Amino acid sequence: MKDINRWRRLVAGLAVVGLLGAACGGDDGGGADTGGGGKFPEGSTMAQLVDRGEIVIGVKFDVPPFGFENPQTGEVEGFDVDLGRIIAEELGVEPRFIEAISDNRIPFLKDGTADLILSTMTITTDRDAEIDFSRPYYIARGRVLVPEDSDIADVGDLSGRRVCTALGSTYEENLSKEVPDARLELVDSYSECLELLQNGAVDAISTDDVILTGMIIQAGEDFPMKLVGDPISIEPYGAGVKDGDTEFADFVSGVIEQTFADGTWDKLYERWVGQYTGEEPEHPQDYTLQEALKMRPCVEFC
Amino acid sequence: METLWNVIATYYPRFISGFLVTLRLVGVSFVVAMALGLVIAALRVQPVRWLRALGLVFVEAFRNVPLLVLLFIMFAGLRRAGVGIERFTAASAALGLYTSAYVAEAIRSGVFAVGRGQVEAGLALGYTYPKVLRRIVLPQAVRTVIPPLGSITIAMIKNSAICGVAFNLVKDVMFQARYVNSRTGATNEAFFWAAVGYLILTITATVVVRKLETRLAVRR
Repeated sequence: MKDINRWRRLVAGLAVVGLLGAACGGDDGGGADTGGGGKFPEGSTMAQLVDRGEIVIGVKFDVPPFGFENPQTGEVEGFDVDLGRIIAEELGVEPRFIEAISDNRIPFLKDGTADLILSTMTITTDRDAEIDFSRPYYIARGRVLVPEDSDIADVGDLSGRRVCTALGSTYEENLSKEVPDARLELVDSYSECLELLQNGAVDAISTDDVILTGMIIQAGEDFPMKLVGDPISIEPYGAGVKDGDTEFADFVSGVIEQTFADGTWDKLYERWVGQYTGEEPEHPQDYTLQEALKMRPCVEFC
Repeated sequence: METLWNVIATYYPRFISGFLVTLRLVGVSFVVAMALGLVIAALRVQPVRWLRALGLVFVEAFRNVPLLVLLFIMFAGLRRAGVGIERFTAASAALGLYTSAYVAEAIRSGVFAVGRGQVEAGLALGYTYPKVLRRIVLPQAVRTVIPPLGSITIAMIKNSAICGVAFNLVKDVMFQARYVNSRTGATNEAFFWAAVGYLILTITATVVVRKLETRLAVRR
């Protein structure tokens, strides 16, 4: 698929050069620009990225099926990674993926380490105060994962039990609302949660359904696990950009909407989620950014 | 500047509880490190060869493995092997064992600083070897050993922060600062207050070591 894209871009680039050549009578041989630079307003983030020729995208490295390192190739893959590639392609630049865990993804945008964050990040009002969000591009649900032989059958059974989730994620709030007396163990990444569940230091993991499904697939036969209870929350994922850069956020939203329209989104869903869960997707087109923000009103300093 | 006060005004219960956890962790590890360090140092100066070798292996094993690796082995490794070790136990054991290797080396160098002639004189007077160590060598060695032990203790207090990062094993000052940072995004402010917590402990340790040094100093 990557190869096809590369071909498509090459062909498009050649076509542009050919047209330019025809129009100008071939007086300028240096016009090898594939048509990115002039597309965007002067001084915009998009134009700057085109000048640089690269976009740095923060993704998860340990969260199948959204962003994870393929052990065979060492390359990072997943839904978020593919979406990042599409955005980079629309800009006409090369994507460079760096690891952004839940706790450092917002600082990465603030200090310019990353230009864009696609890191299974739920849109919340608190986060919106610090960064800007695109429109929702995925709708996840909060669930609870336990070992196959666990006696936990419902969310209510978590009271008094040890539940693992990531530091800086939305689940601290979700869980303290749903089961106030669950004992939360906050770690840096979901792969640590999986280790803690496997070594018996926690009784359950709570986070987005897709991430938990990824864990079930990852652990496989060695450590069978199951999802229990009803969803405890709705988690609309958004792409994050630097605070105040509405122009770039709108550009990213535009690309996302295009993937809805041309069927690319459905392909991504099928490739990374659908084929494993066999479930129909919950459509992110049904929600706007404003609706997503309303679901998560301010809790801390806004 | 305003955020600095806001952060502590809002989150002081977390910082205080984190400080107390760090204090407890450092306290337990200190006792483990000193007691074990003394035993290992004693092994290291034994005339019996295999006892010396045992001490050497212990020191080299725990001094040459990074603390972070020790923490992973102590917690995830042991748990996977079926030992139901608790978080705090794993953290204090790893920190205590790691530090005890340094303590042992410091004490050993202190023992060697006491002239060999004194040991021979003690043995010639009919003291047993353990008694020579206890009555003649150790009282003198303690003086030489206090300053390096002080440095080791300060290093241990600072090293304890790793336990708040590796699997977030203990909810110490470091963990709480990271928690506050994740909620507020006030990175500089959150870690400033963590630094204050560590400074309180390290400066106290420094003062205690100074006091001990003056008290035990030989008037020359």
